[in-house]
Amino acid sequence: MRRTYLGEFEEIILLMVAILNGEGYGVTISEALEEHTGRIVTFGTVHNTLIRLEEKGFVTSELGGSTAERGGRRKRLFQITALGNRALQEIQQLRQNLWLLLPPDMLQPGNA
Amino acid sequence: MKDPVQPPRWARWLLSRLHPDNTLEEVTGDLDELYRYRYKRSGKTRATLHYLLNVVSVVPPFVRRRNTDKQYYQQPDYRATFSLKSTMIQNYLKIAFRSLKRQKVSTSINIIGLAIGLATCILIMLYIQDELSYDRYHEKADRIFRVGLMARLDGEDVGGPMLGPNAARDLQQEIPEILKATRILKGGEFVSNGTSSFKEDNLLYTDSTFCEVFTIPFLKGDPKRALTEPNAVVLTEETARKYFGNQDPVGKVLLFSREKIPHRITGVVRNVPTNAHFRFDMLVSSPDDDEQHIGWMYRINYYTYVVLPEKYNYKKLEAKVAQLAERQIGAELQEFLHLSPKQFREKGNDFGIFLQPLTKIHLYSTFGGNELTPGGNILYVYVIIAIAAFMLLIACVNFMNLSTATAVRRSREIGVRKVLGSVKRQLQQQFLIESVLLAVAALIVALLIVCLSLPYFNQLTGKTLTLSLLTNAFVATGLIVGTVLVGLLAGSYPAFYLSSFEPVVVLKGRITAGRGSFNLRSGLVAFQFFITISMIIATVTADRQLRYMQAQKIGFNREQVLIIHDTQMLHNNETLFRDKIVQSPLVITGSISGQVPIGNSALDNTPVMSRENPDKAVMSRFYKVDDEYIPTLGMHMIEGRNFSKNLSTDSSAVILNETAVRALGWQQNPIGKELIGHIDDNGVKTYYRVIGVVSDFHFESLRQKIGPLVMFLGGNSGNILVKTRPGELPQLLASLKEQWESFSPAAPFSYSFLDDRFKQVYLGEQKIEQVLTLFSGLTIFIACLGLFGLATYTAEQRTKEIGVRKVLGASVGSVVALLSQDFLKPIVIALVLASPVAWWGMDQWLKEFAYKVTIDWWFFALAGLLAIGIALLTVSYQSIKAALTNPIKSLRNE
Repeated sequence: MRRTYLGEFEEIILLMVAILNGEGYGVTISEALEEHTGRIVTFGTVHNTLIRLEEKGFVTSELGGSTAERGGRRKRLFQITALGNRALQEIQQLRQNLWLLLPPDMLQPGNA
Repeated sequence: MKDPVQPPRWARWLLSRLHPDNTLEEVTGDLDELYRYRYKRSGKTRATLHYLLNVVSVVPPFVRRRNTDKQYYQQPDYRATFSLKSTMIQNYLKIAFRSLKRQKVSTSINIIGLAIGLATCILIMLYIQDELSYDRYHEKADRIFRVGLMARLDGEDVGGPMLGPNAARDLQQEIPEILKATRILKGGEFVSNGTSSFKEDNLLYTDSTFCEVFTIPFLKGDPKRALTEPNAVVLTEETARKYFGNQDPVGKVLLFSREKIPHRITGVVRNVPTNAHFRFDMLVSSPDDDEQHIGWMYRINYYTYVVLPEKYNYKKLEAKVAQLAERQIGAELQEFLHLSPKQFREKGNDFGIFLQPLTKIHLYSTFGGNELTPGGNILYVYVIIAIAAFMLLIACVNFMNLSTATAVRRSREIGVRKVLGSVKRQLQQQFLIESVLLAVAALIVALLIVCLSLPYFNQLTGKTLTLSLLTNAFVATGLIVGTVLVGLLAGSYPAFYLSSFEPVVVLKGRITAGRGSFNLRSGLVAFQFFITISMIIATVTADRQLRYMQAQKIGFNREQVLIIHDTQMLHNNETLFRDKIVQSPLVITGSISGQVPIGNSALDNTPVMSRENPDKAVMSRFYKVDDEYIPTLGMHMIEGRNFSKNLSTDSSAVILNETAVRALGWQQNPIGKELIGHIDDNGVKTYYRVIGVVSDFHFESLRQKIGPLVMFLGGNSGNILVKTRPGELPQLLASLKEQWESFSPAAPFSYSFLDDRFKQVYLGEQKIEQVLTLFSGLTIFIACLGLFGLATYTAEQRTKEIGVRKVLGASVGSVVALLSQDFLKPIVIALVLASPVAWWGMDQWLKEFAYKVTIDWWFFALAGLLAIGIALLTVSYQSIKAALTNPIKSLRNE
């Protein structure tokens, strides 16, 4: 299978979905993003990325869990798929391998 | 209970309107939640701001749409049926090509009709673009103005675009707003490079500031210094090649006029573009005038231009210039006429100045012969735009008519498609795509026609238009978008109308358009024929007028007359040359005279008075001729005798034309009467005795009335008119040239024929006739296409009716008559409407001519018959076809 390309932002969102483990939806993902990375992005960015991830088959979604806070409207909750999981692991693996190839002195502080 | 923490309501409304429906619920919820979160963290303002940003980020075009159908992700090949998807488009195209191919005739007629309309439009667009682009290539084009003179003397406008030589200097000195002022003086000179000489008609004397005002691209030499020294010449590329071939001309010397004054070449410039109101082959530095006493009103030969600062309102300056002119011209009036400006104006005269923007000189200036080059006319531009618009409109309407007519034929196809489950929208798309395809094909054909016809069009208009304008992205997009729009519009009727029928009805083939739409169609036919008939009448009138002018007795014989030009350059040998020419057996007579009785002469009218009535001045034209003039041109003496070389008293004799005799009041026996031909500054009168009367002849063009003419015997060199016997003309010309060169004059040998010159005078009329013929041909063609479309349509509509009529015993003839008469009505209406309009228009045009044809009733009859004949011919094809159809075929469905 052709490896599906995963952009940096997509990767982070996918990680958030994985971290939140079934509790991830627009708001929680945005908040987690802000909390962990300090990035404040518009909601549209997150929204579009989630749809794109779903089109690529890395996440699935389901409507549910309405609360009074949001006027009784349902949320779309996201769950990572096996494919998404594997993609994340592959990236992680790739990074690991590359890090091992780094000459040891490059890791010294002060070496730009 | 209202929650206090709520985002602005209008923003949420906006969101609900713009955000895709299928994700609206979750997104609205998410945004509300985020708003609360932000509200707690950073307060209301920031939360609202953030909310708005978020809303913007989830409305189109930023938002990504979630596809509703979950299956989409698992089966990527599945496509929804109801939108414009590529397989469907492929199918539409396939069907379109098939049906267009099946109806070859109507397809090609439709394409050609629209293509001709488009091609005409494109050509006219090119023409107009060129007309509007005059003089815009100068960098300062919008700041350059020409100063002209307004003057009225004895009720006649004698102003023009020129001023005296001092105006430019005074303007620059007295008015600080004028950055630069420069003058142009038109000239003509014999120029020689030592070995061969040429007559240069396109020569301008210019100030050193010329190149600072106008943008003249120099190839060689320094624009700032090229025209500063006296006797400096700047050549155009072409002229440089003419004199020096491929050598570098800068620094070389050219000899001017018969005195062979050396002029040094200081530069070479690019050839002047054709869209300029002045053209030149050479620029010569202005000779230094002894500028003491010349002023503004004396030697009014200088075109004076000024440059203003950027964004300066020239109307403001006009007032200042007017003040200055009042002072300067006023002083001159005082000096020459001993009149103050006030007294001058009290006599009903007037004077003043005006400014003309450079870019408007070509189209708006009305000084005709006084311009540096003949100008255009903004009125013609409007007329031609109107013609183009009409042509395009008619072509589009026809395109629509024909498309509809052919679409109706396909009602069965529509029915079958509907039964098989085709949705309305698909049918609409099918028809729209077909007509857009046709329109695009028409555009391609139109471009082809334009490419092929451009050389002829250039010949007709005397322009050098190129297709470069069409490569302009803006124009190209406009053309394509316009064409597609026409296609969509034309396709819209069948698309929306036909596809809305019930399948059962269409399958039965019983689509009938309402009566109303037929009336609209006949109205359009009437409109088309209105234009066609007007054009035919105009063409016929122009043709008659042109023939009339050429067949007119002009009063002299223009056949076999050769004119040798510039014979004054032979100095004293002119007579010798003439005498030598006459010795040739091929020559009958030869006359030396500056006057050629054709075209506008530069001569002014001069007053003459009869001896008995010295107060009544008759403005007449003076001709100075020799004794051979009248026989050479074959003019007819009514009374008296011609001049004679042998009678010394003939130096104070004159010959008049009939009009002059009448004007002087000598109806009976004019011979021997005396007139005052000259009064010198001291009031001494010179009397001349009339020895003969020559019958009236046209000495200008037939546009003007024959005026009074007085012929004097006198040395007036310039041309030798030679009457030749028919025969070996090339040999004669060769021997003339040889003899000419034996005198080694500064001018080259050049000649023309009188009848060629005569034809040239009417070149303008000839062009008008050609243009009219072309356009009326095109409109007839396009109107016929329209009629053809309509006939097809009605024949189609009435198939059943015809079938029934035939079954009941109608003959073919009666059916054809029935179908044809429908079309006669709009044409007759068009004839009735067009006749007065065309009559009025042509009457206006004919007013320019002193001698003109009368517009006869048969012009209209001819135009009407022609239109009806052509229309019947067009319609008959369809009606005969319909009448000959076996009724079984048309009725079998019942």
